[in-house]
Amino acid sequence: MQEQSRKPLSRRTFLKTLSTAIGGTAFLPLLAACQGTPPPGGGAQAPSGGPTATVLRAEAGAVEPTPAPRQAAAGRSTVIEVWYPYGGADAPLYEEYWKAFEDENPDIGVNAVYAANDLSTNAKLFTAIAGGKPPDVTWVDGPQVAEWAARGALEALDDRIAAAGIKPENYWSPSWNQTVYEGKVWSLTYGSDPNFGFFWNKDVFVDAGLDPEKPPKTVEEMDEYDTIIAKVDGNRIERLGFIPWTVYGAANSLFTWGWCFGGEFYEPDSRKITANHPNVVKALEWMTAYAKKHDPTKISGFQAGFGSGTQHPFFQGKTAMAPFGPWELSALKRYAPNLQYGIDFLPTGPDGAPPKSSWVGGWTVGIPKGSRNLDAAFEFVRWISTSDTATMIAGKTFNQFPGYRNSPYYNEVQNNPQLKAFYDILVETKHQRPVMPAQAFYTGELARAVDAAIFGQKTPKEALDEATVNTQKELDRILREGIS
Amino acid sequence: MATPALRFKRRGLSPQQRRDLRSGLLFAAPAILGLLIFVAYPVLASIYFSFTSYSILQPPFWTGWENYQTLLFDDPLFYTTLYNTFYIAIFTIPLSVIVAMGLAMLLNVKVRGQSIYRTIFYLPTIVPFVASSVLWLWIFNPQYGILNTLLWYIGIQGPGWISDPSWAKPSLIIMNLWGVGSWMVIYLAGLQDTPQELYEAAELDGATAWQKTIYLTLPFMSPYILFSVILMLIGIFQYFTQVFVMTNGGPADATRVYAMYLYQNAFTYFKMGYASAMAWLMFVMVVLLTFVIFRTSARRVYYGGQ
Repeated sequence: MQEQSRKPLSRRTFLKTLSTAIGGTAFLPLLAACQGTPPPGGGAQAPSGGPTATVLRAEAGAVEPTPAPRQAAAGRSTVIEVWYPYGGADAPLYEEYWKAFEDENPDIGVNAVYAANDLSTNAKLFTAIAGGKPPDVTWVDGPQVAEWAARGALEALDDRIAAAGIKPENYWSPSWNQTVYEGKVWSLTYGSDPNFGFFWNKDVFVDAGLDPEKPPKTVEEMDEYDTIIAKVDGNRIERLGFIPWTVYGAANSLFTWGWCFGGEFYEPDSRKITANHPNVVKALEWMTAYAKKHDPTKISGFQAGFGSGTQHPFFQGKTAMAPFGPWELSALKRYAPNLQYGIDFLPTGPDGAPPKSSWVGGWTVGIPKGSRNLDAAFEFVRWISTSDTATMIAGKTFNQFPGYRNSPYYNEVQNNPQLKAFYDILVETKHQRPVMPAQAFYTGELARAVDAAIFGQKTPKEALDEATVNTQKELDRILREGIS
Repeated sequence: MATPALRFKRRGLSPQQRRDLRSGLLFAAPAILGLLIFVAYPVLASIYFSFTSYSILQPPFWTGWENYQTLLFDDPLFYTTLYNTFYIAIFTIPLSVIVAMGLAMLLNVKVRGQSIYRTIFYLPTIVPFVASSVLWLWIFNPQYGILNTLLWYIGIQGPGWISDPSWAKPSLIIMNLWGVGSWMVIYLAGLQDTPQELYEAAELDGATAWQKTIYLTLPFMSPYILFSVILMLIGIFQYFTQVFVMTNGGPADATRVYAMYLYQNAFTYFKMGYASAMAWLMFVMVVLLTFVIFRTSARRVYYGGQ
């Protein structure tokens, strides 16, 4: 006993103190993280099923080093800071924009900074705005517009748009619609993605004994083709006709097929979420039936060997049909130069669903709240969205169909059969994703519903009912708290 | 304790002591200020934010207990993430202890190349989480992965691992075991601290290896095990990077863990208040669990000679 009392510090106390101390401090970063700094490891990769088709292009470049910031040309009286969303192989292409803009606007210089912008990295822009040092111009993804506008991240542009003589009818209507929230315009569309062209691999069609010049015209036909094309060797899938939930993530897949089946996702006047619209349910039931046909875990195992964008199984002839955006044209040329394919409208859904279904995605460009160079910033927004120079760069360099219908690029498109196919889709497009401030939440809920249904944990109806209720609750909360 | 010294100081510092004190504080000021501004303030602020609805740019909107109420009574996904986290914890922690202890005991055996083996088993620990997660994505790939290929050679049809909702959590647990190197090192240090003379005495008395492990090694190692269990528990509540990189919470919510859902609420859905409430609930849970572990283990932990 004597021995013990003389011990200055027992091992027990030491370990106890140490673990309590470490336990306490280990929590601090996490609690602190809620202040607006992402925890370590955050932003490393764009989560799948993000709200934007184009986000997935960024993933391919995620391993590339971050491009260095660009300095404005010397001697400009005003310098604006522009944040653009794509690094990797796309980053050097942006220089064409900055240079062309500086050439046409001798007073304004452009400092350009790469800032990945998707579901997981919004925090950067919000922190910059909260800190009083926002960029003057930023790319805003279509479904983010209402979300950001409602949370006070964007400047309304109505007066400047009116003064510049820009009219709604100058844009493809879904592209214009996605920039209008609560009666105000918050950004201008830069690119209109005709989502999607239906690609089919002619070589695989021949191999499977199908007519390579006859793509399926209906969803039923597409299913029949899949049965003919699919090659399954025991537990191993060698080839599939298509995978319905890999249209740039689960949520975008449901948007694509939901509209294709004649469904609707949102009722703007009554602000009602309609994920459980009977035709959306039907679309998810169809996806679920497809999953059962091949076993969902087997399909996801097959899928896991591939990825999105240029890693998509279509590029390697492992799926024969896929909805793609026009940006894949250059990717196909680069990564699968020998692949023979055709492009058509999406097959028509069952039971009198409207034919030629598609929707518009794509980026817009806006001005973050607190910009100190509003005039120069708007000049850039106007220029990149509507000028002949910029819309030609969008088309020719980025394979990006301009949102501005009067762009001379649309004359050029007529002579290129592949681009013409997409042009025809764009002309027919009626839909854009819901314009409302719970869009990211809705996207997450739709992706969860698709997952739960295809893995058989809930019926499609149950899963979509739940997504509807949850999203409605979230939307109502945002609207009730009057955050606008 | 140190009171006499303090009293002396208060009574009157010599000019030299005062200068020392001033420059000492000055030198420590960056660290103190950093701690106050970047740690203490955010932590305290998050208590306040947890009672608000806060989307960063607009002023926080006071909602009282609403965030906590919604979490506890009106958010099934909260319980799904809690279940996933506990599931991973309940299997990862005991298995990690067993594997790390087994490795440590093996690596404590004096053989040629001992330090090389130690290095090899420690190596996975220094691989960054993102890199090891991508690596494991490929190991787990059901069609092309090395795991299923090996299983196929011995005639077993492997499951879908990370892409199968019922195998996704076990897959993560297996992956976690790969990174027990740092605990192994701590246990190894503990093993070398156990008194050799007791082992010699036991051998003279004819104790078997099993008896030596149960009656000698384990009691001496118990404080180390307690220490590691508590830290592992905390670590698992913060389990994020692997899931973020590998599954993003899928398939079908099977790997949506607590920290992942917290992150989503904060940075995807702009619900900073809700996420702060989640963080504080997590804090309370870990404090309670730590307390329970201390209480229940008190009699089983042996602090050499006490």
